[in-house]
Amino acid sequence: MSILTWIVFVPMLGALLCMVVPRRQIRTVAVAASLVTFLLSLSLFATFFNPAGETSGEGFGSRYGMLQHVQRATWIESKSFAIEYFVGMDGLSFPLIVLTTLISLLSCLASWNFDKWAINKGPRAYFALFLLLETGMLGVFVSLDFFLFYIFWEVMLLPMYFLIGAWGGPRREYAAIKFFLFTLAGSVLMLVALVAMYFYSDQAITAEMARQGIEGVASGYREGVIISHGTFDLMELATNPAIQNHFAASSTLFLGWRFAPLMFLFLFVGFAVKLPCVPVHTWLPDAHVEAPTPISMILAGVLLKMGGYGFLRLCYPIFPTGGMTWAFPVAVIGVVSIIYGALCAMAQTDFKRLVAYSSVSHMGYVMLGIAVMTDTGFQGALFQMIAHGISSPMCFFLVGMVYERAHHREINRFGGLWLTMPRYGTLATIGFFASLGLPGLCGFIGEVWVLLGVFAAAEKFTWAIPMAILAAAGVVLTAGYILWLIRRVYLGKEREEHAGFPDASGRETFILVPMALLCIALGVFPMQTVFIFTNGTLDAMLAQMARVIGMGS
Amino acid sequence: MGEHFYEILLALGVLSPMVSFWILVFAGPKLGKPTAGWTAVVLGMGVPLALATWVLISWWWGEDSVSRAALTENAFRFHWADIGSVPITLGVKLDSLTVAMYFMVTFVAFWIFVFSIGYMSGHSDEVDGQSKYSRFFAYLSLFAFSMLGLVISSNLLFLFIFWELVGLCSYLLIGFYFDKAYASAAAIKAFVTNRVGDFGFLIGLMLVFYQLGTLDLDQAAAVFAEQAATGSGIFSSDFSLFGWSLATVMGVGLFCGAMGKSAQFPLHVWLPDAMAGPTPVSALIHAATMVAAGVYLVARVFRLMTPDALMFIALIGCLTLTLMALVAIVQVDIKKCLAYSTLSQLGYMIFGLGCGAWIAALFHLMTHAFFKAMLFLCSGQVIEGCHHEQDMRKMGGLRKKMPVTCWTFFVGVLAISGAGIAGTTIGLGGFFSKDEILAVAYVRAFEWDDAGKHEVHDGDAAHALGSTHPVTGVRLVSDPVQNAHGGFARAEARGAANAHGEDTQHVGHDDSARASIFGTIPALPKWMFYLALFTAYVTPFYMMRCWWMTFMGKPRDENVYRHAHESKLMYVPLAVLAVGTLLASYFLFRPLIADAATAATAAPLVLALDGHEHTAAIGAAHRFLTFGVGGAFIIAFLAAIAIYRRGLETPERIRRALAPLHLVLVHKYFFDEVYDVIWVKGCLLLAKVARFIDTWIVDSIFDMLAAATERIAAFSGLILDKHGVDGVVNGVARSSTDFAGFIRRWQTGRIRHYVIFATGVATVVFLWIWLAGASNADAAVVSAGM
Repeated sequence: MSILTWIVFVPMLGALLCMVVPRRQIRTVAVAASLVTFLLSLSLFATFFNPAGETSGEGFGSRYGMLQHVQRATWIESKSFAIEYFVGMDGLSFPLIVLTTLISLLSCLASWNFDKWAINKGPRAYFALFLLLETGMLGVFVSLDFFLFYIFWEVMLLPMYFLIGAWGGPRREYAAIKFFLFTLAGSVLMLVALVAMYFYSDQAITAEMARQGIEGVASGYREGVIISHGTFDLMELATNPAIQNHFAASSTLFLGWRFAPLMFLFLFVGFAVKLPCVPVHTWLPDAHVEAPTPISMILAGVLLKMGGYGFLRLCYPIFPTGGMTWAFPVAVIGVVSIIYGALCAMAQTDFKRLVAYSSVSHMGYVMLGIAVMTDTGFQGALFQMIAHGISSPMCFFLVGMVYERAHHREINRFGGLWLTMPRYGTLATIGFFASLGLPGLCGFIGEVWVLLGVFAAAEKFTWAIPMAILAAAGVVLTAGYILWLIRRVYLGKEREEHAGFPDASGRETFILVPMALLCIALGVFPMQTVFIFTNGTLDAMLAQMARVIGMGS
Repeated sequence: MGEHFYEILLALGVLSPMVSFWILVFAGPKLGKPTAGWTAVVLGMGVPLALATWVLISWWWGEDSVSRAALTENAFRFHWADIGSVPITLGVKLDSLTVAMYFMVTFVAFWIFVFSIGYMSGHSDEVDGQSKYSRFFAYLSLFAFSMLGLVISSNLLFLFIFWELVGLCSYLLIGFYFDKAYASAAAIKAFVTNRVGDFGFLIGLMLVFYQLGTLDLDQAAAVFAEQAATGSGIFSSDFSLFGWSLATVMGVGLFCGAMGKSAQFPLHVWLPDAMAGPTPVSALIHAATMVAAGVYLVARVFRLMTPDALMFIALIGCLTLTLMALVAIVQVDIKKCLAYSTLSQLGYMIFGLGCGAWIAALFHLMTHAFFKAMLFLCSGQVIEGCHHEQDMRKMGGLRKKMPVTCWTFFVGVLAISGAGIAGTTIGLGGFFSKDEILAVAYVRAFEWDDAGKHEVHDGDAAHALGSTHPVTGVRLVSDPVQNAHGGFARAEARGAANAHGEDTQHVGHDDSARASIFGTIPALPKWMFYLALFTAYVTPFYMMRCWWMTFMGKPRDENVYRHAHESKLMYVPLAVLAVGTLLASYFLFRPLIADAATAATAAPLVLALDGHEHTAAIGAAHRFLTFGVGGAFIIAFLAAIAIYRRGLETPERIRRALAPLHLVLVHKYFFDEVYDVIWVKGCLLLAKVARFIDTWIVDSIFDMLAAATERIAAFSGLILDKHGVDGVVNGVARSSTDFAGFIRRWQTGRIRHYVIFATGVATVVFLWIWLAGASNADAAVVSAGM
C-alpha cells in the first residue's frame, strides 16, 4: 500500500479513535494522529533523493505525469464508468502535502486548550471533525483521479462547515453557511466539468481508435467490460495527445461553446472561490472572523491553497488553450485582488478581518503568477502558496493569542503590546514582516518571482508590463497597512488594561517558533527549501502545455 | 593567500554582526547593560573593522592594479536560485570601491557603536530597562549585517534584499522609542516612503531582468553595452514615455530606489522625521551609511544609465541640494538642522553622479560620512549633556562646558563648508570633494558644447579626450564603449596615474566611438550649476549659524547651561572621527575610488569625468571657479557671525522682515501637509471606499442572490416540494440561531437536505450533459474520421 494512502487515512483512523477513547484522552489522540501523519509525510523527503523511475535526483518529473508512490485500483465500475482509487505525488503536490500535515499538527496543538474556549462542548466531535478535515485536505492533494478528487473536495467541506458553525464566534452560522454555499456553488460547476470531461475524453479515444483501426479498450488496466473509453485520470487527461487534441480543437463544442475555454472557466470558478479572489472572496473574512483560531489557521494555511492547486493541477495542464484564452481576465482578477484586498485590509478595525483581507491580497499574486503561464510565474505562484501557507497561519495564531487574552479584536483599543509581551512581540514582528514581503523572509520570494515572471511575459501578452507595475504598487499598500497595524497593536505606550497579559506560554511559543523559522528558512534558501522540489514538475508541465498550445496555433 | 581570500574575509565580516544579532536576541537581556553593548561593539563591528583593515591593506598595497582587476574578474559566485531559468548568483562585488566603502562603513560604525555605549547608558532605563538596551544593540548589529551585505552585493536582487533590510533596521531604530507616538509615526513614514521609491526600483529591476536577462551587475552592464552597440534588446524597443526611451525608464526606475533611500526630492520627507531615533542612529544610519546607499546604488548601476536618465538624476540632485539647504537655515532643532544639511549634501552627491562626476560624488560620500557622523555625535553629546534639549535657541555659550565637542564640531563645520586655501592643496573634506563636483558641473554647463562639437568635427583631437581636457583640466574617466572585460591595460594605467595624482595619457583604439558619445550627451543647463554654486555659499552659512548658536555667544537658558557636561566615553569617538575626517580628505579614499572608476564607469552611453586637477587649479578659466567656490566659506561664515553675534535679536528682525519666506521654509515648502492630504488621506479614503464596496455592494449582491433563491424556492416549493427545497434556502437568510438548535437541525436532517439538494442538482446536470455529450459524440467521431 502506498505511503500516501497511509498519510491520508491515518487522521481518519485517529478520528475513529477519538470517538471511543475516554474524554480526557481525546486531544492526546488527536495530536498523536496528526503527529504521526506529519512524520509520515516527512519520510516523503527520501523520495526526492531516490525517486522511482528516474536517474537524476534533480526534482520530480522529467516529464509531466512522472509520479511517485502511485497506488491505483478500480473502485467503482459499471458499463459506462470506471472510477479509480488513484493516488500519487509529484513536485506540485509534495510541498503542499508536507505543508498540510505541518499546519494540521500545529493547529491541533493550538486546539490543546479547548477546555478554556468560550464554546467548549463536544471535544469528541471537534477533534474527530478536525482529523476528518485533515483527511479530506490530504486526499485532495494526493488524488489523481478527478472523481476521487471531487469526493475529497466535498469531504473536506462538511467538517469545515461544522467546525465553523458549531465552535465559532457569534455569527458562526451565517459564516458557515456562507462558506458552504460559496464552495458548493463552485463545486457544482466543477461537477459539470467532471462529467463533460469524461464524455469528451471518451469521444477522443474512440475516434482515435477508429482512426488507427484498433478495436477494444484504450488502457491496459481496465478489463474489456467497459464500453466507454472515457477517463477521470488527471494525468491521462493532461498528457494523452488524442484527448488533448480533441479538447483543444476549435471544432469541439459544448452546447455551442468551444470546449476548452468553457471547461476552463467552469473549473476556474470553483477554484477561484476557494482561492479566493475578488469578487467571490466575501465568504473569507466572515469565515475567518467567526472560526476558532486553529480552524482559521487551517483555513488560511491549507484550504486557500486548494484553489491554487486546482489551477495548477486541473485548469492549466488540461486546458492550456483555455488558459491562453482567459489569460487577461484572470490576470486582471489577480491584480484587482492584490490591490482591492490590500485596500480593504487597510480600512479594517477588526484585527482578524484585516489578516483575512491580507490573504485575499496575497493570493492575488498566486493568481497573477499563474495567469501568464511562464516558468517564473508558476514557480512564484507555487512558492507564494507555500509561503503564505506558513506566514498566514502564524498571523492568525498571533491574532488568536491576543483575542484569548483581551476578548476583543478592536485594533484601535490595543497598543504597546510589545512592551507587555516582549517574546510575543518579537515573534509577531517576524510573522507580520513575512506577510509584508520583507526580503529575507518567505513572503518576498513569491512576490518578486511573480512580478518578474509577469513582466517577462511581455513577449506573449502586451498587457503584462502594466499588470506587473500595478501589482508592484501593491507592495507599497501592503507595507502601509501592515506597518500601521503593527504600530497600533504592538507599538506605542503600554496600556493599563493589558498590563496583566502573560507573555507567550511554552505551548504558544512552541507553535510559533517553527513557523517563524520556516519563514526565515524559505526566505533565505528558497531553492533548497522549495524550488528544487517543485521546479522539475512545473517545467515539465509547462513543456507539456507549450506542446498543446503549439499544436493549436 | 588562498583563492577567494578577499571574498571570504569580506563575507565573514558580514556574518559576524549576524552572530552578534542572534546572541543579543537570545541572550541579550541576560548579558546585561554594558556587556550586551560591548558584544555588539566587538562582534558586530570590531571583527568587521579588523577584517576590513586587513583586506584594505592587502588589497591596496599587496596587489597591483592588474592583479586587482584579475581578482575582480574571477570573484566567486554562489548559485543561489533560479528565476525561471535565469540563475541568480550570490557573490562579492570585489573592486576598490567595495573595499573603500566597506572600510568606511566599518570604521565609522565602529566608533559610533562605541559612542552608543556611552549614549545608551543614560538612556535605556527611561524606557524598558535592560531588555530594551540589548534590543538597541541587536538592531545595530542587524543593521551592520545588512549594510555590509548591501556594500558587497554583486547582484541587483541581493542589493535589493539588503536594501530592504537596512530599511527595516532604519524603521526599527527610528521607532526605537516606540512608546512615543511621533517616533512610531516617523518610523512608518520612513518605511512607506522608502517603499514608494522601491516601487520604482522594482520596475527598474524587472526591466533589467526582462531586457538584459540577468541581475548580476557586471553581466548586466556587459549585456547592456552589447545591446547598445548592436541596437538590439532594450534598444530595439520603440517605447517612449514623454520622450524617454525604455533604457532611460530602466535607469530612472533604478534611481527611484535611490531617491527613497537617499531621501531625494520629492521623497525627502522622511529623513528629517527620522531624527526621532536615538542620536547614534541618526549618525550611523541617517547620515553616514544607509542614506548614502542610494548614491552607492546609482554609482553601481552607472553603466546602465542613459544621458536622459543622468539628466533626470542631475535635476533631482540639484533641486534637493538647493531646497534642503534653504530649509536648514531656519531650523532651530540642532538635529533637524543637521538632517537638512545631510539632505543637501546627498543632493550634491546625486547631482555629481548626474553630471558624470562619478569619482567626486563617491569621494564626497566618503568625506561626508566622516564629518557628518562626527557632527551628529557632537549633537548627541550636546543633547545628552543638556538633558535632551534639542532647541538651539536655549543653548549658547556651551564651548566652556564642552570644549572637545565644540572644537570637533567646528572641524565638522569647516569640512562640510569646504574650507581650504584656494589654489593650494590645503583644505578639508568638502574642499576636495564638493568642489570637484562643482568643477565637473562647470565643465558640463559651460564648456560642453564647445568640447563636444570640437571633438566630433575634429577626429584628430579625439584622442585628447582620454587625457586632460585642454581647457578645463577635467578629463574622462574611462573609455565609454569598453565593456567590463575589456580594459585591464587601461585600468592599470589609470590606477597608477591616480594613485600618484599624476596625469596620464592613454591611447584608446576606440576614439571615434568615444567622440561620437561626447556629442550625444547634452550640456547641463546653466541654472543647475548656478544653484549648486549658490548652495556652496548657503552651506557654510547655516553650519556656522548652527555652531555659533550652540557653542558661542552667551548662554540663553540658565537651566540648560548649568547641567551641560561632557562624557569621556563619548568624546573619544568624536576625536577619532575628527582625525578621520582630516585623513579621509587626503589619503586613500580618492585613489581607491579612482582605481575602481575605470571599470565601474565603462558605460556605453554616458561618460564619467574626472575633476581631480581642479584642486591644483590648472588652467586660467578654472581659476575663477577655484576662488569663487574656495572663498565661499569665508564670506558665508562672516555673514553668519555678523547676524548671530549678538544672540537672537538680529535674526529675529530679519525673520520678521521676511515673514512669508520664513513661513514657507519653516513648513518645508508644505510637502508634509500636501502629502498627508494626497497620499495618506487619499489612500485611507480609497480604503474606506473599498470597504464600503465590499460590505454594501459585493456582499449584498450575494445576499440578494440568496434571498432571490429563497423566493424562487419558496414559490416552487408550494408547487413542487414544500418540505424539501423550501427548508433549505430559508436557512440562507435566517442566519443566527443558537447552538442547540443548530445541532438539532443537523440531527433532524437539514444538512441532509443540503446534500440531497446538491445531489439533485448534480443529477440533473449530469443527465443534461450526458444527452448533450451523446449528441455531440457522433459529430466528433465523424470529424475525427475524416
